[in-house]
Amino acid sequence: MSEARIEPHSGAVKFTMLIAGAVFTLMMILGLLMRAAQGSLIELDPALFYQILSAHGAGMVGTAGLSGAAIMWYFVGRYVALSAKMYWAFICLFLLGVVFILASIFIGGYGGAWTFLFPLPAMSGGAWEPWAGALFILGYTSIGVGFLLYYLAIGYPIIKRYGGLGRAMAWHVAFGGADPEDAPPPTIIAAAVVTVFNTLGIVVGATVLVASLVNLLFPGFVVDALLAKNMIFFFGHVFINASIYMAVIAVYEIIPEYTGRPWKTTRIFALAWTSILLFVMAVYPHHLMQDMVMPGWMLVMGQVVSYLSGLPLLVVTAFSLCVYLVGSKMRWDLASALLVLAIAGWSIGSVPAIIDGMIVVNKVMHNTQWVPGHFHIYLLLGEVAMSFGFMAWLVQGREVAREGMSNLDKLAFGAYVLGGFGFTVMFLISGAMSIPRRWAVHLPEWILQDQIATAFGAVVVLSVVVFVLKYVGGLRR
Amino acid sequence: MMQTTILAVALGLMAVVALVFCRVFSFVNAETGTANTGSRRSKFFWGLLVLGVLVTAGSLRQWPHAIATGAGVVQVNATGAQWSWEIDTRKIPVGKKVVFNLHTEDVNHGFGVIDQSGQLLFQTQAMPGYINKVAYVFDEPGQHRVLCMEFCGVGHHDMTDTFDVVAD
Repeated sequence: MSEARIEPHSGAVKFTMLIAGAVFTLMMILGLLMRAAQGSLIELDPALFYQILSAHGAGMVGTAGLSGAAIMWYFVGRYVALSAKMYWAFICLFLLGVVFILASIFIGGYGGAWTFLFPLPAMSGGAWEPWAGALFILGYTSIGVGFLLYYLAIGYPIIKRYGGLGRAMAWHVAFGGADPEDAPPPTIIAAAVVTVFNTLGIVVGATVLVASLVNLLFPGFVVDALLAKNMIFFFGHVFINASIYMAVIAVYEIIPEYTGRPWKTTRIFALAWTSILLFVMAVYPHHLMQDMVMPGWMLVMGQVVSYLSGLPLLVVTAFSLCVYLVGSKMRWDLASALLVLAIAGWSIGSVPAIIDGMIVVNKVMHNTQWVPGHFHIYLLLGEVAMSFGFMAWLVQGREVAREGMSNLDKLAFGAYVLGGFGFTVMFLISGAMSIPRRWAVHLPEWILQDQIATAFGAVVVLSVVVFVLKYVGGLRR
Repeated sequence: MMQTTILAVALGLMAVVALVFCRVFSFVNAETGTANTGSRRSKFFWGLLVLGVLVTAGSLRQWPHAIATGAGVVQVNATGAQWSWEIDTRKIPVGKKVVFNLHTEDVNHGFGVIDQSGQLLFQTQAMPGYINKVAYVFDEPGQHRVLCMEFCGVGHHDMTDTFDVVAD
């Protein structure tokens, strides 16, 4: 199906990515402060540490979602007409939510983590007032409503243009034997799939948020803790995965400009995205493997689907990227290097994630630092690298790779890779040493790892400052 | 020991994935023949699928959450509350099947047991309104530490305790 390219909403997207770059940097500095405090390099009051933990978690997940949404909006805008008003409504609701969350944490003292595990927001042990918990939940609700508007604004024109969600997901190619030439482009397939699963995820999240809010206002209203936990982890898992699956569209659209080889829709590609639709929603019980009251079949499903989730990534996305790269006339610049790194980082990070998804391993690794170890690999060296790669490409216009990488680019990129892997591998080593995650104060025997991780983290922050400053410089030009 | 093996396997497999990408980078801009990518992808897929079936079957052959029953099983009740543990049995016999029954009085907690070398032996969650059960047989006597493994508020890191594993 030939596609007419429509000029995208580049101003709004550039503004969004400026916010995303700044917030990513700020949140990384908060993360660095926490690692430095665990390593006894600075002193942080535990109450402040847990407030920073909550801000870092909510801020990073929210910004990953925001940057992924901006990337998807930009490229979907090449194929269908999108409403700028709806995008700005989404951004306004998102920013309103950010204000609520920041106020709840840094004015109200909320420190119940981004996962708001029921009934912790209402039972702080005196650390924060119920209104702070309620404000945090209202902040999430505002962001969630913004995202629902966003998916409505993306989903409706896709359905109209491609004749239904099934056809937009290329089911006629995957299961109907239709010619892949008649399929939508990869960007539309990815956008349609993410629209379906993240809309469902946010609706489930909104339901448990409202229930938690009612519990805060009327403590007599009690929610079943196991049901709430299932709903929270379903929402959280789906949302953070959606951010990566939205951002990967940057790879589909930008890398072909460097290789000269278009990223095509094939039957395998369509099947892979349908499997992603199912796996992203079915895998969440791997977060509840230490809740023995969960039905056994759900835990087995969590383990099996954890493994299966790696297949579309490794066999389709990573494999296809390698095929497109080999023998191509690819030239490297900061954008292409970061986008390729992102697929490599995502693939590498899937290994410790899949291993932790085994019940027998999870018994000794769950909620140790192994967990932030694996998710920092595929976020820091995956989604965030995609976002910075997209930002670098966005401000270089159509002069793709003409200048190559400057010495500063090489230094910043090398520092990001070295710092990123060093920082995340220290988490994995710490997890193998049974160091729990989310502890404000560490035992003396854990401090050396924290200090080494802090050094690697500082390197990452410095490289990211370069990426953001280069982006700002590009915008000014 | 188990954690060291897990770390070694993970780092080894991560290195393999990284090396594949490095190898691909060396072929960018290189003159290459026509490779049968469809066949390679198919072999890669089926290889990973077979590996997954084998690993899944091997790791679930014995149900990891199996609970010991019958006479002779030592029952230990532990209750978490912000931010301390109440454990009703502080001397636990070595070599006997022990079942820990986990309760909570307020929010979610995690009951993780650490041996004298600092290694996490097992864990389970304590959840409002539910009792989670976890079984274990201690091989070595000595003092064991309990750490909270689920974030539970400002005193989370202070929620530690101990019990002794003793010879009969």
